[in-house]
Parts: sequence; structure tokens; C-alpha cells
Amino acid sequence: MRRLALPLIAVVLVGAVLGVQVAAGGGHYIPLRPANPCTPRPVSPIPAQLEPLAEQIVLLGLDSAACRLGISRERLVLALAQTRSPDPRESAALKAGLVDAVDRLDRQGLLPKVSQLLPQALDQANLPGIVKTLIGAIPGPVVDNLLPTAPLLRRTIDELDINRLLHELTDPSQLNSVLQSAILQAALRQILDRVHP
Amino acid sequence: MGEGSHLMGTDRSDQPASPQTARTATVVVLSLAVAVVLGDAGVVTLALPEILRDFGAQVWGVAWVLIAFNLVLTLVAVPAARLCVRGDPAVATATGLVGFAAATTVCAVAPSLGVLIAARAAQAAGGALVIVGSLEMLVAAIGVERAGVRRWAAAGVAGAALGPVIGGLLTSAFSWRAIFVVQIPIVLLALPAAIALRGRVVERRRPTLDTSPDRPHVLANLALALLSAALTAALFLLVLLLVDGWSRSPAVAAVAVTAVPVAALAAGPVFRGVRAGTRSEAVAGSVMIAGGLTGLALLPGAELVWTLAPQVLIGLGLGLSVDSLTAAALRDRIPRAIHGGWTIAARHAGVVVGLAILTPIFTADLRHAQTPAEEAIARLVLDAPLPASTKLDLAEQLGRRLSAERGRVPDLRPAFEALQVPATQATAVAALERGLDDQLKRAATRAFRTAFLVAAGLALLALGPALALRDRSRS
Repeated sequence: MRRLALPLIAVVLVGAVLGVQVAAGGGHYIPLRPANPCTPRPVSPIPAQLEPLAEQIVLLGLDSAACRLGISRERLVLALAQTRSPDPRESAALKAGLVDAVDRLDRQGLLPKVSQLLPQALDQANLPGIVKTLIGAIPGPVVDNLLPTAPLLRRTIDELDINRLLHELTDPSQLNSVLQSAILQAALRQILDRVHP
Repeated sequence: MGEGSHLMGTDRSDQPASPQTARTATVVVLSLAVAVVLGDAGVVTLALPEILRDFGAQVWGVAWVLIAFNLVLTLVAVPAARLCVRGDPAVATATGLVGFAAATTVCAVAPSLGVLIAARAAQAAGGALVIVGSLEMLVAAIGVERAGVRRWAAAGVAGAALGPVIGGLLTSAFSWRAIFVVQIPIVLLALPAAIALRGRVVERRRPTLDTSPDRPHVLANLALALLSAALTAALFLLVLLLVDGWSRSPAVAAVAVTAVPVAALAAGPVFRGVRAGTRSEAVAGSVMIAGGLTGLALLPGAELVWTLAPQVLIGLGLGLSVDSLTAAALRDRIPRAIHGGWTIAARHAGVVVGLAILTPIFTADLRHAQTPAEEAIARLVLDAPLPASTKLDLAEQLGRRLSAERGRVPDLRPAFEALQVPATQATAVAALERGLDDQLKRAATRAFRTAFLVAAGLALLALGPALALRDRSRS
């Protein structure tokens, strides 16, 4: 009996320690795993400002692009951050993903009207003051009639040069310039389409 | 076998008359020398991150600072014991002390990793003579074989357990070089004692030379080797996890790992009253070491408190098993120095095997941990309640940190220090920094899991030879 006492004490002590550790989450103390990009994330209401809208579209777009590519959103972001030059398949998936994001926000009625975004857009635009004043004077309903948000965003995405956009990510002024150029082109085309259907 | 026992188990009456204080001083300085030499096997463990930075080396290269010492000790322990048996153990010990001190001096001033590794090998060669010579001298000084052997084994266990702690404190207070500086006067304290005992140990032991040597105790030595391999993980991996994975200072890590030596020293008083016998102690010790290592593999958080209970198990297991297995390996076997050499060779072969098996496992796992850690960081940054422009700035800084420290656990603080945000975002940025730090700790902790489990497996393997031991009460 005395010979068994020590091994038994050892087993009891080991069992107690491991029991406490497993009960406290031992074995599950691991890094956060990426979420499945194909499972839609909940979207909260977006303030009528350019940056939050752009961010929401990019986040949802990355999910959709990653889902199309069969990888996680995080892996896609890290790959893009490393190379800054997506291959054609990634470029196409990114554009399609961004369009998916706009479609989803549009379906859920979460896209702000262009008239709500226009003052901020004009503030940031590299346009002559007189032009900004003229555009600013256009009544909101007219702006929204000429430029519905979802089609304008789809056209903007279509105009975007994804490679250039990724190269300019760390330079805010260049990034703004790329985005403004795409938005302006898209707006002009949309207005022209409305005027000459 | 056994013939030597009556020769070595002499009582004190046939000793040359010497004052009690001189004998006590001899025992103390010899025990200290044994503890320092055996402590050297792991003394640099906590200094490895600093040595790694000083010499700009890789983990595998720096591991050789540990491996070289243990490998040479493994190879030289038995030949050194043969020298002691053929000659005068006191002379061999004195030679070893001088050689060890000289090599330690070179370690302290080593200008490169290569010189440090070579000096560590020389340290081990001198140290082998000190350890096996001291076994004979301690028995001679104490006058009772069993008491002398137990004192020798206890000094070794204390040195092995306290080595990393003292090394960590010295590294933290001064530098890794201080570890070697303080050893020199301590080992040289034993030199006068060794010189004073010259000729006296030979006289007392001479009749044993006519008898054929006993065979080494294979089971006890095999169990010692396997447990030493597992214990390497306990100290080497835990220290690396605390310092490199959890970004604790060597001083904090040193204090944290004191749980192992404290529990090892407490094991005797706590369990010896049971008088369970060698086999039971070895089996219980192996179970506790395996359980403690499994506990380290299943940590539920990166708080130091979670490492305490597993460390206590490991310390109790160490105190129970190594001491009793060493006593079993030496009991009634002659020449004693050679069997002492076998136990040293077995223990340090275990350390080398442990390092050789576990270092590639955890370095590979640390590399593989990079992808999940990066993904977790990307997820937290993407989902952070911060403006896109702040996220882009931060991503740029984090990317630089991650690529600058590829293969190691990165320090993300500089990325946040470089970030300039308005006060309204400060709370969210601070929360994000804490979140990213937690993810890195999770990834590092996960990276050490397999190595700890493999080490636990080595301790469980020691159960085989431990169960096959002949049980004898230690009373």
C-alpha cells in the first residue's frame, strides 16, 4: 500500500492541475481565427459621410472577393499588402466584391443619398471655387435624381484602377486623387446617360 | 558487486583526525562546486535571448551554448571518472577546478558566439573532473558512503534547478557575462580543499582497484536520461516562452521559474516520510513531471500564475525522481566515481537529446504560428472601431514590424508609438494594442504546445525503466 501511495498522490495532483487548466480554457488559448468570408456579416447603419461609406464598402467587398477566391478576408488583405500588385484574378474578384457590397447595402437601404455626401465631396474635391459653388447650388432632389447612389458607386468601381489604388494606399493625397478621378468620371458618364439615354 | 560497499561504507573512526569545522567547510565548498558545475548546464537558459541579440544569432545557433556544454559533459564524464579511479581524485578535482575556472573566464569575455561555444565545451571538460572527483571526496570527507552520495546528488539537483534562476537574475541585473564572472571565485573556493585532500582519498579507496568494476545500472540511468530530456523542456522552453513569447524581463522570468527549484527542494521533506521506496519515488516523479509539462502545454492564458501549478508538479517530480534514481544507480556499485560518471553522462545525454528533439519542433512551430498570428492581427485591425485612414496608417507600421522581426515574436509597441491619432481615437487605439498583444501571446503559447507535449511524452517513457527498478526503501 505504501508503495502505491506516492504514485496515487502524483496522479491525483496531476489530475487536479490539468482539470483546473482545462476548465479555465486550456487548450483553447489560440489566436483568433478568420471568419468565413462567405457568411454575411451584420452591417450597422452608415453615417452619411464619405469615409465610413467607403470603409463599409471595402470591408464587405473584401469579404465577397475572398469568398470568390476561396480564402479568408485576412489572408487576401495580407497578400495584397505584401505584393501591392494583385494578379488579374484577384483584381476581378476585388471589383466584383465591391459591386456585391454596393448591391447588398442598396438592398438593405443603407446607402446615403448623393445629395447628403455632396457637400463633403465638394470640400475635398480639387475643383475651382466657382464650380464648387455652382454644383453646391443644385437642389438636392435634382442631384439625387441625376445621380442615384448605387448606380454611381457601381460605375465608380468600374472606373477604378485597382492596381493604382493599392499602390497609393499609403499616400492619402494620391489615394484621394485616384478616387476623385474615378467618381468624377462615373458621375459624368451617369449624367450623360441620363441626358442622352 | 557489493564487495566495495564495506570498503566505502567506512565509519568515521578510521579517518585521519581533522577538526569538524574543516570537514564541514570541505563538504560545503565541494557541494558548491558540484552545484555550480551542474547548474552551468542550464545557467545560461534565461540569458539566451540576450546572447541571441548580442551576437545577432538565430535560436538554433544560440541553443549550442547549452548543447555544447551538455554534449561534452556527456562524452567526458565516464573517461574523467576513470582518470579519478586510476589516479588521485583530489588531483583530478583540482585540475578540473583550474580548467573550469579558466574556461569560464573565456566565456565571460567571449567576443563571438563561436568562442563562447568553444569555451563552454572546455568548461564541461573541466567540470566533468570536478563532478566525479567531488563524489569521491565528499564520501571521504563525510565518511559515510550513503550520506556522501546523497550530498553529491542533492548538490547536483539544487544546482540544476537553481542554475536558470540565478542566471536570469544576473542577466537582468548586469549582463549574461556576469553569470560566468561570479562562478570563477565560487569554484576556486574548493581548490584548497581539493589540495588538502590530496593522497588521502587514494589511500582509503585503494583496495577497490583490485576488484572488477560493476556494470552500470542501465534502468536507473535510462530513466535519468529520459527525465533530464523532459526537464530541459521545462526550463529551456518555459524560459523562452516567458521572455520571447510573453515579453517578460529575464528578472521576472527568473522569479517565475523559482517555483521549480523551491518545489524540488520541498519534495524531500514533503514525501520522504512516506518511505515509499526507490521505484515508487521514480514512478511518482515521472508522472508529476509529465503532468506538469502537459499543464504547460495547456495554459489557459498568458498570466504567470498559470505556470505555477505545472511548475510545482515538475519541481516535486524532479526532487523525487532524480535524487532517488541517482542513489539507485550508485548503490552498492564500484568504482563509485565511474558510476557517478555514468549518471552524469546519462543526465546530460538526456539534456542534449531533449534540446536536439525539442528545439527544431518549437522553432518550426514558432514559424508556423506566424500565419495565424498575422491573420488574427489583420482581423482585429480591419474590425477596429477606427477611421479607415487610421487603420491604413497602423497597417503600414504593423507591416514593417512584422517583416522586420520575421521568425521571432514581434514587438508591436513601436508601431503604436509611431501612430498619431486624435484624442477621440486614443481609447480605441489602446484597446486595439491590447488585443493585438493578446493575439501574439496566444500564437506564441500555441507554438510551444507541441514541444511541451513531446517533453511530457519523454517523461512518460521514463515510467518504463522506473517501473522495472528493484524497489528498495530509502529508509
